[in-house]
Amino acid sequence: MNFNLITTPEEEAFRQEVSDFLDVELTDEIRRQHGLDKGIGPEAREFNRKLGSKGWLGLGWPEEYGGSGGSLTHEVILIQELARHEAYIPNTVARYMAGPTILHFGSEDMKKEFLPRIARGEIEFGLGYTEPPAGSDLMAMQMRVVEEGDFFIINGMKTFNTASHYADYHWLAAKTNPTGPRHQQISLFVVDQRAPGIEIRPLHTLGGERTNEVYYDNVKVPKNRLVGEKNRGFFYMVHALNYERLALHQIERYLPILNRLVNYAKETRRNGVLLADDPLVRNKLAQLAVEMEVCKCIEYKALAMLLDGSIPDYEAGIVKLIGSELRQRIGYTGMEILDHFGILEEDSDLAPLKGEIAWICLGSVLDTIGGGSSEIIRNITAMRALELPRH
Amino acid sequence: MDIKFSEEQQILRDSARRFLEKNCPSSLVREMVKDEKGFTEELWMGMAELGWMGLIIPEKYEGIGMGFLELTVLLEEMGRVMLPGPFFSTAVLGVLTFLEAGNEDQKKTYLPKIANGELKVTLALNEAESSYDPGSIAVSAREDSDGYVIDGAKLFVPDAHVADYILCAARTSEGSGLEEGITIFIIDGKDPSVSTKLLKTVAGDKQFKVVFNGVRVPKENVLGKINQGWPAIWTVIQKSAVLKCAEMFGSGQRILDMTVAYTKEREQFGQRIGAFQAVQHHCTNMLVDLEGCRWVTYKTAWMIHEGMPYEKQASMAKAWCNQSYRRVVALGHQVHGGIGYMEEHDMSLYFRRARVAEVVFGSADYHRKVVADHLFTYGALTQA
Repeated sequence: MNFNLITTPEEEAFRQEVSDFLDVELTDEIRRQHGLDKGIGPEAREFNRKLGSKGWLGLGWPEEYGGSGGSLTHEVILIQELARHEAYIPNTVARYMAGPTILHFGSEDMKKEFLPRIARGEIEFGLGYTEPPAGSDLMAMQMRVVEEGDFFIINGMKTFNTASHYADYHWLAAKTNPTGPRHQQISLFVVDQRAPGIEIRPLHTLGGERTNEVYYDNVKVPKNRLVGEKNRGFFYMVHALNYERLALHQIERYLPILNRLVNYAKETRRNGVLLADDPLVRNKLAQLAVEMEVCKCIEYKALAMLLDGSIPDYEAGIVKLIGSELRQRIGYTGMEILDHFGILEEDSDLAPLKGEIAWICLGSVLDTIGGGSSEIIRNITAMRALELPRH
Repeated sequence: MDIKFSEEQQILRDSARRFLEKNCPSSLVREMVKDEKGFTEELWMGMAELGWMGLIIPEKYEGIGMGFLELTVLLEEMGRVMLPGPFFSTAVLGVLTFLEAGNEDQKKTYLPKIANGELKVTLALNEAESSYDPGSIAVSAREDSDGYVIDGAKLFVPDAHVADYILCAARTSEGSGLEEGITIFIIDGKDPSVSTKLLKTVAGDKQFKVVFNGVRVPKENVLGKINQGWPAIWTVIQKSAVLKCAEMFGSGQRILDMTVAYTKEREQFGQRIGAFQAVQHHCTNMLVDLEGCRWVTYKTAWMIHEGMPYEKQASMAKAWCNQSYRRVVALGHQVHGGIGYMEEHDMSLYFRRARVAEVVFGSADYHRKVVADHLFTYGALTQA
């Protein structure tokens, strides 16, 4: 048994290299742009390209497609180190959904057209799955595809498509076979996000993020932009899902926040008491530390499965489930400790921790909803892990 | 990274499960609640033959010489069947204290007889005003020409009535620091000046008030260093807490297994209750809590096994297991509905024992204090 991710000097050297790179290149502004998604700016894009030029966005991909070889362990080391430095994985849709799906199921031409550019950090994808009638029930989507000569003609709309306002491509799921068997109705496409007929309308969230409605009015998509086989989209989507969930929920990211709360308590007096001496404050922070460690252990178990060649199935869902609920508790506990000061936004003079607690509190409302709601994950876990019967 | 059990650990687990399933049914657990001794000689010697008492005793003291991880696996299996009797007292509290604090002679004298099942041992720590806290220990040990004289009362001493030896943490001096002035003594359990009184707990496990009424102890029965006993005791408390966690989620897994099986059998409103989402969510929540218990505990056990610092980790594990195992038991009861509430149902046994597990070797609040001390001394980014 060994809970250490890094077990060789070479792996440690790689981790150190990533860490040194991030110490230099990762600024607070870049962290903000990723995390807040208020707008990926030029700094964040430049950071993407730099990661790409180090070969780190193509870890584990074959060299013929712009990958840099390397093992899954290297990829996990990279993700962990990014998390430790509080960076976000740049453009998860490109790197963890579109990329792997194209790699496993796309045509040779498609691989050559997209994978090298994803690996160099040059292109970004928006995720086009959700529609007003299709949230947890993705099969209820209504976007329709008809075929005309060398093109698909696509009509409909998608919503909550974050990144579409700046992404180069749309990773789109739409119905090519609406009357067919349930899991054979959908196909996946790579659509040029600036194609004629596409209209993007902004939506603004509680957490201050910008997301979008994306309208398709007779958009012509070349036939060669179908990903893999027609009507296999559902299968491809499920395939990508578990891996993506693991990549996104790195408990390491939460430890620096806890550290800042501890430091805040050491420096702050309230009602005659230094917060660090208040047993209730100490208890709350210790509780967060305990929950973070427990989540990390569960996450490591799932990562160990992945590194061992097994596919974490419901295990990945559990990591997302507990990570999302934990982040909400971090927000609320932080608010309790900051008291009035927790309600101050980042640009208020008196906001402690640069307003991050307020932002976590507001932004984490989505965490238990998007990317697999807590309810859906609990249902799926019961059925897959415990084999409980369907209703 | 490799979060799997070794072949040796898997063999130990499989053989333990088979033995315990056969020899420790819940009917035995129930019987032992009523039984005065709380264990059968037959089961005790059966375990001794398997070498379990000596699992972590080094081979030179006639033990098997396995490590802390293996002991954790064994305790998980024991938790599954709610093993009654003085195994934990002897093979965990006793053995760990001798290993931590004993000199060579003491280890040679006592450990082989523990390993072969001949001796039962326990540890007397808590008092009316002291719960795993050195500063408030009041049982006194006064030195005279022949040795020491022990006076005072200990509480919640497990299996004191059958212990051949009671290891007692007593105050030998008012130390200058909170942790100083405590010494561990090896006391003959059958000494006429030692009296034991059964404390009736909700679990019916054998916990005792032990009164030391001028008990004479020879100098060679000082275990470890005079006035410096607390660090060894603290190590034993922490390691015991981790092993208690293993018992807890060992029990918890059986509760989940029983609960899931029940949801696939019990029908209401025309279908199996396992099809209802509320029930599914309860079961998933139990699974997730247990996964947390399992992996935080095994990570701690691995750190201990590898000789890494583990103080913060052990406290995080016990704090978590205390909280989450409570939920697992409660949800197990909830899903079983009315029948689970009947005394004759195994859920009742698990519930009662869960109340004990939650308090022994530190409550969640107690351990969070340890974690908070680490956070405020070293920050949140350090490992142990």
